[in-house]
Amino acid sequence: MAAVFRALFGYCFLVLMVRVVGRRPGKQMAPFDFVLIFFIGGLTLTAMVADDRSLTNAIVQIVTIATGHFILTLLRRKSKKFALFLDGTPLVLLSKSKWYSETLGNMNFSTDDVMAAIRGKGLVNPEGASWAVLERSGSINVIEADDSK
Amino acid sequence: MSSPARTRPVEDTIPKIENELAIGEDLEFQRRWWRFEHVVWICFTIILALDIAGVFGRGPLSKAHAKTSDGAIHMTYERFARFQTPSLISLHLSPAAVRNGHIQLWVSQSIIKPLGNQRIIPQPATSELAQDGVLYTWPSGVRPDSVDFAIEPSTAGVEHFTVRLPELGDQLTERVIVYP
Repeated sequence: MAAVFRALFGYCFLVLMVRVVGRRPGKQMAPFDFVLIFFIGGLTLTAMVADDRSLTNAIVQIVTIATGHFILTLLRRKSKKFALFLDGTPLVLLSKSKWYSETLGNMNFSTDDVMAAIRGKGLVNPEGASWAVLERSGSINVIEADDSK
Repeated sequence: MSSPARTRPVEDTIPKIENELAIGEDLEFQRRWWRFEHVVWICFTIILALDIAGVFGRGPLSKAHAKTSDGAIHMTYERFARFQTPSLISLHLSPAAVRNGHIQLWVSQSIIKPLGNQRIIPQPATSELAQDGVLYTWPSGVRPDSVDFAIEPSTAGVEHFTVRLPELGDQLTERVIVYP
């Protein structure tokens, strides 16, 4: 029973931590961001496993986390408020030659991060992008300005 | 032949920005979240400060001392311990603790079970079950400067423990908070 609660607590705690620490997965991840993921994951693991290194414990905890994840996904689909809490909202970072500095600052993003996404789209300067949007997944989507095509 | 997949028409329900980009940005929610994040970071800072101070164990505020009125037992221990993490209860015994050619020390059952005593240094010559605890005996020829109980708490919570010199009647009762 303790294994289930430990796994559930570890999972919920990690979801909250990753949510609070920020949205920088995938493409926007700098090498030092990886350290965070591995370190938090590794430290949580020691507390979750405790002194029980049995296969039974591993299976019970994996099943617990899988079930917890399924429930979160279900709640996310059923409730818009919960989805907002879990994933946040898409955020505009750049619009027609205007940087959204409040959003960039509070999300700890620099204009360089957005420029990397703009270059990834094959554009050479921010004027070529009509919009840059930080998606809920953490990726930055760039929409080209009509006159840049 | 299988029936076709169910479909429904696409509805234009996602709020647009500048009447152009259907993004559904909820900036008011995001501002509330940023305020929440600020509170969380303040909490993290407080947690770190408390941990460095020793409130969660293994720090200056965790170290505790206690001694009997006549000074026969002087005990040092950690008032904040952690689940299944080694900690030490040290008893410094004065020469007055020697009676009838030996030292006898009674410890409550809580040191053995919930606080998870692993070993005693130096090892006593005898140990016997006594009422609600265990009675240890050392020969006086090797009167130890200190007796250390190496503990590893097996349950989280608040645990009280007592040590006593039964022949002198001196005793100490203290409390350890065990974090999960």
